[in-house]
Amino acid sequence: MILPARSLERRLTGGLALVGALGALFLLLFIAIEYGLTFQTLADSKELPSVIHELTEHVVIPIMVLILPMTFAARWVIRASLRPLERKAREIDEASAHERGFRVDVTSLPAEVLPFANAVNALLDRIDEATREQEAFAADVAHELRTPLSVLALEIERLEHPAAERLREDIARMRRLIDQLMILAQLDIEAPQQADGEVALAEVAEDVASLMAPLAIRQKRNIAVETRGSASVTGRREAIFAAVRNLVENGLRVTPEGGTVTILVGPGNAIAVRDEGPGLEVEALETLRRRNLRADHASSHGAGLGLAIVSRIAAAHQARLTTQPAEKTLRLEFA
Amino acid sequence: MRVLIVEDNERIAKLTGSGLVAAGFAVDLAPDLASADAALGSASFDALVLDLGLPDGDGLEWLRRGRRARTVPPALVLTARGALDDRVAGLDAGADDYLTKPFEIDEVAARLRALLRRPGARTDVELVIGPLRFDTNRRACFAGEKRLDLARREADLLELLMRKAGTVVRRQAIEDALYSFDAPVTPNAVEAIVSRLRRKLDQACGCGEMLHTVRGVGYLLEERA
Repeated sequence: MILPARSLERRLTGGLALVGALGALFLLLFIAIEYGLTFQTLADSKELPSVIHELTEHVVIPIMVLILPMTFAARWVIRASLRPLERKAREIDEASAHERGFRVDVTSLPAEVLPFANAVNALLDRIDEATREQEAFAADVAHELRTPLSVLALEIERLEHPAAERLREDIARMRRLIDQLMILAQLDIEAPQQADGEVALAEVAEDVASLMAPLAIRQKRNIAVETRGSASVTGRREAIFAAVRNLVENGLRVTPEGGTVTILVGPGNAIAVRDEGPGLEVEALETLRRRNLRADHASSHGAGLGLAIVSRIAAAHQARLTTQPAEKTLRLEFA
Repeated sequence: MRVLIVEDNERIAKLTGSGLVAAGFAVDLAPDLASADAALGSASFDALVLDLGLPDGDGLEWLRRGRRARTVPPALVLTARGALDDRVAGLDAGADDYLTKPFEIDEVAARLRALLRRPGARTDVELVIGPLRFDTNRRACFAGEKRLDLARREADLLELLMRKAGTVVRRQAIEDALYSFDAPVTPNAVEAIVSRLRRKLDQACGCGEMLHTVRGVGYLLEERA
């Protein structure tokens, strides 16, 4: 293994080697002085072989015998004591992008690294706190927007102007956006890991269908539920409900008049929504999913934050959101 | 139908009030809980439109107390919070329905009419949905001027759907309402009744398509003004 110049392991090994070499030199010097060896003795061709023999037998060989195993032992000790750091680094790397409350576990770390790990944890504390404040602020803003928007909506309803209908639609869109912002903020503020216990997916599907059916029927579309098996998952019921609702809203938007949006429960711990639109390509889902991460501008086809929200909820529940364009299905698979 | 609007934002109160007057309601306004108490003490109201964040207290808490004392009519709660759990909190406290701001007057009017169609409400005698009229005392149903000839369970189903018009009625709720506990319900019994009812509605007024199937969940009678 080639180590970078500033590697701790390389510096420690080098240091130890230097100490060994210097020690051996000092030992030789000490022996020379002790036995009164002079350069003349060394130059004397009769004495030299016996001196060399003596030195080899009593100094060089013991030092070699000591140094070789010590070198390997030192390397092993150094590596072993650095290994927890590597493991921690991997853990930090693997912490998911939205995981709140992640902290470096300091129990198995060597004492020397503790101040560093504690500093990292303090930084994570501050980041979490800042994010929470920001999200609480976003929720407050969304909340405060509702009152003026209500007045605006009511005033527009009284207008008898050709533009009134368009304005009403704009208000409906703004309202939906506020709802979505608040769901996102709420999901993050109240730790998403906090579970309600077992959530029956069939019940969620029926509740979402009941909620959305009046709107769908006004828009001349149908909603249906198909249940295979009795799937239930651990998680937050309202969050899963919001995810399925967003999938259904997405389905209603792409389904033509007279079409049906079907919520499919199971088989297995999965819930899916099938529409009668063109089907969502894998790359397109990826783009929509990333929207909230990259603060993209809204798309022209009005998907809003819907699928980004679903993806966030899925991540919080260790679920996977996938698309099957051929079956025109978006699927949430729980672990 | 007399409605009391309890809302502290003057513009929202007035706009909602005039919208509901145009929709055929008699409306009184109360800007806070004290005046709401005064209004409820001096007159009889069929329903309440209640905002939650009021200057002199929490609307939900007030509603909970009123419900215990049985002094408040059915309430439609307006909330700016829109948080998912507020709904549960609101309904637990005795709110009969809720809407998040911003709302549309049509929606408020429809929800209020639905509240007034509930069993026990004062205007319980006759249910009217679009061309359909159901006299709950005489158990007679009319489509336009024509009287519908319905079997008992068909009439029960129609009454249930009319009371909940505009919302999905679950199949389980229909079975519970139509059959006594010990009567066995065959798997397709409800479907059969629905399709007979739909055919009769079609023959009477061509309005069978008002009765929608939400496959796998239940049925919905479309609300028409």
